[in-house]
Amino acid sequence: MSTKNTHIPEWLTVPFAGITPAPTQEKGQDLFPTGNWRSIRPVYRDKLPPCNNACGTNEKIQGYLDLVKRGKYLDAYALIKEDMPFPSVTGRVCYHPCEQACNRGKYDEAISIRAVERFLGDLGQTLTNDVVKPGKSNGKKVAVVGSGPAGHSAAYQLARLGYTVTILEKSPKAGGLNRGGIPDWVLPQNVLDREIERLEQLGVTIKTSVEVGKDVTWDDLKKNYDACVLAVGLTEPNTVRAEGENKNGVLYGLPFLRDIGMGTSKVKLGARVAVIGGGNTAIDCAREALRQGAVEVTMITVEGNPKEMPASPEDLHDMLEEGVELMHGRAVTAVLGNGKVEACQLHKARFSGAINASPITVDRDASSEHFAVDNIIIAIGQHASLNWLPAEFKNERGTIKMDKFGRLGDTNFFAAGDIAQVGSGQPLMVVNAVGDGKRVAFNLDKVMRGEKLQPRTIPVDVIFDLNRMNMTYFPHFPRVQQEMLPTKTRTKTQDEVIHAFTEEQAVEEANRCFSCGTCNACDNCYLVCPEPCIARPERSNGMYKILVDYCKGCRVCIEECPTGCLEGVPELDFDTGVVRMDTAFAISPGLHGRQAEELRNLGDRAAKNI
Amino acid sequence: MAMLAEQKKRTVRINGCVASAQAAKYADVDVIAAYPIRPYTATMMALAQMVANGELDAEYIVADSEHSQLSIAHGAASSGARVFTGSSGVGVQFAYELYSPISGSRMPVQMMIADRTLDPPGDFGSEHTDALSTRDMGWIMGWSCDAQEAFDNHLIAYRIGEDPRVLLPQMVCQDGFFVSHITGDVELPDTGQVNEFLPPYKHPYPLDPRHPVSHGPQIMPEQGPPLQLERARAMEESMAVIEQAHDEFAKIFGRRYDPWVEEFMTDDAEVVFFLQGAHAVTARFAIQHMRDRGLKVGMARLRTIRPYPTDRVKEVLSKFKVVGVIETNMGLGSVSSGGSLYAEVCAALYESQKRPLVLSFMAGMGGEAIVLKEFYWMTEKMLDAQRRGKIEKRTHWVGFEE
Repeated sequence: MSTKNTHIPEWLTVPFAGITPAPTQEKGQDLFPTGNWRSIRPVYRDKLPPCNNACGTNEKIQGYLDLVKRGKYLDAYALIKEDMPFPSVTGRVCYHPCEQACNRGKYDEAISIRAVERFLGDLGQTLTNDVVKPGKSNGKKVAVVGSGPAGHSAAYQLARLGYTVTILEKSPKAGGLNRGGIPDWVLPQNVLDREIERLEQLGVTIKTSVEVGKDVTWDDLKKNYDACVLAVGLTEPNTVRAEGENKNGVLYGLPFLRDIGMGTSKVKLGARVAVIGGGNTAIDCAREALRQGAVEVTMITVEGNPKEMPASPEDLHDMLEEGVELMHGRAVTAVLGNGKVEACQLHKARFSGAINASPITVDRDASSEHFAVDNIIIAIGQHASLNWLPAEFKNERGTIKMDKFGRLGDTNFFAAGDIAQVGSGQPLMVVNAVGDGKRVAFNLDKVMRGEKLQPRTIPVDVIFDLNRMNMTYFPHFPRVQQEMLPTKTRTKTQDEVIHAFTEEQAVEEANRCFSCGTCNACDNCYLVCPEPCIARPERSNGMYKILVDYCKGCRVCIEECPTGCLEGVPELDFDTGVVRMDTAFAISPGLHGRQAEELRNLGDRAAKNI
Repeated sequence: MAMLAEQKKRTVRINGCVASAQAAKYADVDVIAAYPIRPYTATMMALAQMVANGELDAEYIVADSEHSQLSIAHGAASSGARVFTGSSGVGVQFAYELYSPISGSRMPVQMMIADRTLDPPGDFGSEHTDALSTRDMGWIMGWSCDAQEAFDNHLIAYRIGEDPRVLLPQMVCQDGFFVSHITGDVELPDTGQVNEFLPPYKHPYPLDPRHPVSHGPQIMPEQGPPLQLERARAMEESMAVIEQAHDEFAKIFGRRYDPWVEEFMTDDAEVVFFLQGAHAVTARFAIQHMRDRGLKVGMARLRTIRPYPTDRVKEVLSKFKVVGVIETNMGLGSVSSGGSLYAEVCAALYESQKRPLVLSFMAGMGGEAIVLKEFYWMTEKMLDAQRRGKIEKRTHWVGFEE
């Protein structure tokens, strides 16, 4: 009798032969630690969003947009300040490569990142005490030569690292290109003043009207400081090398803007102004000329059409809206006039090649044209003045000789910003200079601590492909536009042309962010998991936990992850959290796991008794 | 037959269902007859993906029931195709009518089975009764105990079944969930190895309008017995082919399986478990534990039950004092009043000069895992019988007795 002496445990007893109660859900999961069914394991792996990657100083853009979404403006401001000392400035002036890279641009319209940055920067300006504090002093002194974007950034980061920083600035006012290269109607002086105040609050000493090579020598720097960052920028305007260029009424771009910015301008423009050049400074000059009383402003470029111009398309658009005319494919070959500018002589010209390495072909055999003007503003770039630099640190082209970390030989001198980027072929923009200053500060710190400078070796996974995200979660929404001063009246004032976002606008715009490749705690995985296999201890980024003992690897969470941060990783790649079959019913959580201790004891008993 | 894209050897972590699908792909099957039922469904899901992705060029036919599914398999095989099908539990039963006709017309159809307990009531867990109930229908049949073995067994079974000396269908079985759903590391071979091991299938007399032949017509009574005799001869003679196929497989793929019985720690064993399928994995683990405590326990796992290796079973099991048969199947009112494996074991041992005591254990029923505790308990029963020199109770319901 096979059934002799058998009895059914009470918890399995059936109410009537053939009738069984359904198992409870709780017992069901206890019974099957189904994690060993899995061949793919969901893993939260944040990628680098393209905006962060494109930013010249790698601001954590996705991060602060996410914080703005949640109304955590102060946290967002603190996050931006890790990489960017003056978001109120870049929030106005940046050429925003982040927006060009924004994945949303391929979907409908890019996020208006710069406007959100400005919103946060302006918020920072209103704080009585800034969120950033100086680092614990390490007793080391660093001189930063130049207070433009690169110098400011380097000084800021060094102060945060605990250095005693002194900025030496040639001009009577600090700010460098931020002060002298950007018109008031883009960046009001008081905004920049506040940021420089912030820098001083960090303990940075700013000595103005101190010129290296004149008031301070190379040896002084060497003697009085433990290290030095050279961020003097490009101060000398390039000339067009045309006959009669020295005539009265010929002006140069950056000095023109600088004098207005410093309040030392004595220029009175005539009614007709020609701006030579097709870059951002040329655009600023043309628009400034209108505000300085010019009536007809014409921009003359060697580039054959607007697309070839190395300028921000938005600024170009705003300039044309204000009434500046464009004249393409021409070069100035002579400045005509009797002592004073009366006209410029133009020849057909062709531009081919990249910025800073631009062969211009001028067709001097063809007939020339005469273009009548009262003033000419030449804005075709500038170069460095490095007379003070010891010869050993100059290369054949007259630029600074340094390694890829910005270090001059094995000295404690580093170069940052425009002078370091000369010849790189990259557009020299504020944000790039800030990034340069930051990296050089970190490199300098490493050298001071005796660490080796090494290039990054970890590959970065930038998420460019919309197919790596789940776009069904993102309804189309138009970009929130920043309001602007009316075209007709804006050239009559020095008021800011572009208006700031309101709080509502900033949040609305931040809400459009995809959070490309990054966990933004949207809870979707937690909600779509067909079984309770995802734990959510806290609503915070990256805090979800896959319960590997139960997750079957069904991929639902991976497929449904809106941002693409969840990845399916082959189980073969893991050696922990894997329950294999031979031990599945011996050592595992759930019912059998709870018996594990008992099983071991029983094994002992069986061994002893028999 | 379309050629499979060349693939290099690689290791993947997949479950038994996917391993079976991969095997069907490597065998470059021509027709897949599908009808879903848990737990084997994942095999057909994986194959559907492969066909959709263009990885495998095969006719994928979704039937309206298992009966149709096996009918499709039968017809497709008659036209000369290499056919793959499968089922689980009551699905296996619903196709029962077709099992004898397929083997009777000597069609080497292959059927993957991921075992499921037969109703009542709906229980997804594994129990071997579904496939075992068809064991005398003329199909080559055996169980795999993990995903790798499942993959390998599919290739070996095609090679055996399609051998002109055999021409019989095969049931390649794996325990539902324990093998079908639990992942294991599986080495997928180089396509070259498979091509060497498994030549393209060619039926000598396929249904073809250009060369008319009759398959399965109504016959006179006297025509029946010779057909049965031939089918029996094929089954018997397949034994040599099976051994040859396993040798060849070991040579090409480097994995050697005993075609009949896997012995584990039996050299000096006095009591052994005799079982089929997935619970062997836990058994090995339990035996190692008990060996650490000095108990002379071993395991003999039956790998092929049809054709039944009577002599080999006799030879192996005669070495021991006690054999504990783990049934994992229902044989209601059978010889042991427990499972049906007991009778097969005892019959093989009947002619032995040294007959061990045989116990039947009803364990792993309804998809329950056989946990370590239960292996210890069963060992205790076997050692008890060894000490007494006789059995107190022939069949034990493990977990329901003291």
